[in-house]
Amino acid sequence: MQARRPVALAAAVLALLLAILFSLAFGARAIPPSAVLDALLNGGHSDAAEVVRGLRVPRTAIGLMVGAGLALAGTVLQGITRNPIADPGILGISQGASVGVVLAIAFAGIHTLTGYVWFAFVGAAIASVAVYAIASSGRGGATPVKLALGGAAINALLVSVTTAVLTTKASALDEFRFWQVGSLSGRDAEIVGQVWPFLLVGAVLVLSVARGLDALALGEDVARGLGQRVATVRIVGGLGATVLTGVGVAAAGPLAFIGLAVPHIARAIVGPDHRWVLPLAALLGPTMLLVSDTVGRVLFPPSEVPAGVMTALIGVPFLVGLVRRKAVPA
Amino acid sequence: MLHRRAVAVGAGLAVLLAATCLAYLCVGESFVAPGEVLKVLAGRPSADELVVGTLRAPRLVVGLLVGAAFGVAGGLIQTVARNPLASPDIIGISQGASALTVGAMTFGVTSYTVLPYLSVAGGLLAAALVYVFAWRGGLHATRFVLIGIGFAIALRSVTTLFMTKGDYLVAQQAQIWMTGSLNGRGWAEAAPLGWTLLVLVPAVAWAARAQRAVGLDDDTATALGVRLNRVRLGLVVLGVVLASVATGAAGPVDFVALLAPQIARRMTRTAQIPLVCSALLGAVVVVLADLLGRKLFSPTEVPVGVFTAAVGAPYLIWLIVRSRTVRSGVKA
Repeated sequence: MQARRPVALAAAVLALLLAILFSLAFGARAIPPSAVLDALLNGGHSDAAEVVRGLRVPRTAIGLMVGAGLALAGTVLQGITRNPIADPGILGISQGASVGVVLAIAFAGIHTLTGYVWFAFVGAAIASVAVYAIASSGRGGATPVKLALGGAAINALLVSVTTAVLTTKASALDEFRFWQVGSLSGRDAEIVGQVWPFLLVGAVLVLSVARGLDALALGEDVARGLGQRVATVRIVGGLGATVLTGVGVAAAGPLAFIGLAVPHIARAIVGPDHRWVLPLAALLGPTMLLVSDTVGRVLFPPSEVPAGVMTALIGVPFLVGLVRRKAVPA
Repeated sequence: MLHRRAVAVGAGLAVLLAATCLAYLCVGESFVAPGEVLKVLAGRPSADELVVGTLRAPRLVVGLLVGAAFGVAGGLIQTVARNPLASPDIIGISQGASALTVGAMTFGVTSYTVLPYLSVAGGLLAAALVYVFAWRGGLHATRFVLIGIGFAIALRSVTTLFMTKGDYLVAQQAQIWMTGSLNGRGWAEAAPLGWTLLVLVPAVAWAARAQRAVGLDDDTATALGVRLNRVRLGLVVLGVVLASVATGAAGPVDFVALLAPQIARRMTRTAQIPLVCSALLGAVVVVLADLLGRKLFSPTEVPVGVFTAAVGAPYLIWLIVRSRTVRSGVKA
């Protein structure tokens, strides 16, 4: 395990670079890698160069950031809830952020990402607190099933709020329906500049609790015995996950299952140490998202399958495998 | 063997339902006096024939039937899964029905006589998938629910994909349909729904008897000569068909299938879920929710599913918090 870790990290970097290249080269029209590099390094005003710089670079950059953010959020959620099926989508946190965005569009008249994002944060925060409160009350504490059901309940409630708003405010629907599905298309370069500060804050929060998460994995009592402030770890970690999910949803819509699958893959490769799992997840998340997005683009040209649908379709078999393998205690 | 309490509760619910229906026919954009409503129902000439007989009555019938179908469907599926949370709207069945229906809508199918069939097909397909993937030498309740939730999420995203494909008006129509709405339903929609459900009545009668055997523990049932797995499959299929038929007619009205059987069981205090009472209760919930949706924010009409979700989600949350046995997920 010890020797494998740096190798794994290097391999993940390589995979991510390939995914980036893949994302820049393929689309409605394929552009050879040499032309992609040429467009990036030397500029130029050929059609290919314009497409790469104007459309595919921002799209890829958003995918990079959102993928990393969701993977980190999933990892930390699984850590603080000690629950293998924790994921921003399953727990209803993404839906909470969505409702925030819907309300911003419909009632506050906000149509820019920097405007959305604060609403998304508030929505995500309320949803995550609610789900955790529901699941941890009653007997048995926050078991996987109770968390998943709490998430399903909050999801259903929030979906109905969203629909209530969208059926009564028809004008918001047209803007929202394209964003709702979770997609990287049509994001402009400006958004890239707006996302990264939030991503940075979220990542710092999450990384700062890495050791606490390791201790928590041994059980709450052991963690306390090791001198960890369990409540602080949970609050800071939860805050980090909320910020990352909120900004991810605001930028790309709710993308399912990335936060679920990536942490498991990362743990399978480098073991349970969060100081390794978190960076590896931050590399694997964008790889998975960019590959999903690119495959969705080339599947049925000229139309495309949004990344959110691709990740959901890839994620379900993963969840099924996870549940069947009995990794989830009943 | 009928419990006296169950009969009393059933009668009480029937009276409540009748009162709700009368209120439904009276209240709307214009108020029609109960006496006039009864006149219209009796077929005597009345000035309110158009409003009551043509606009409100068919919509009421659709609401009644849909609510009853969801109530029974939820009861059957919860019985088989032995879990109060295994409701068609949690484990992906409604979402499967939605995905296929919204998909068809975006490809130009708008007839409410065709959509219900697609809805049934989608629901059955989703149920089969969840069943197959959750089966592993038996149907463990926890596994079933978790895999169902996963499929529900994936199918919902497929539905939103379809919504981005159609033009704006189709998207709007699909959005309203997806919440569950009775808006614009007339006799043309009420009639086929009524016939379909009528055909299913014998099957429900069979289910009410078979349900008792499934409720016994496995050894006793087998000793009595019950082919447990077949009976279970029969009950699930019937439950899925009922849920999908209802979804086809009114969209996935959330939480009715979850709520009605559990409340009915608490009211009658029976060990088994009382199917008749849960049908009545489902009908009351849907009709009442639609009445509120029509009137409360008038002139804007809020789809019925918004109200059922607003009531149902807190109830589900309460169920999770209170439940002593969700942990093992075995007992209802």
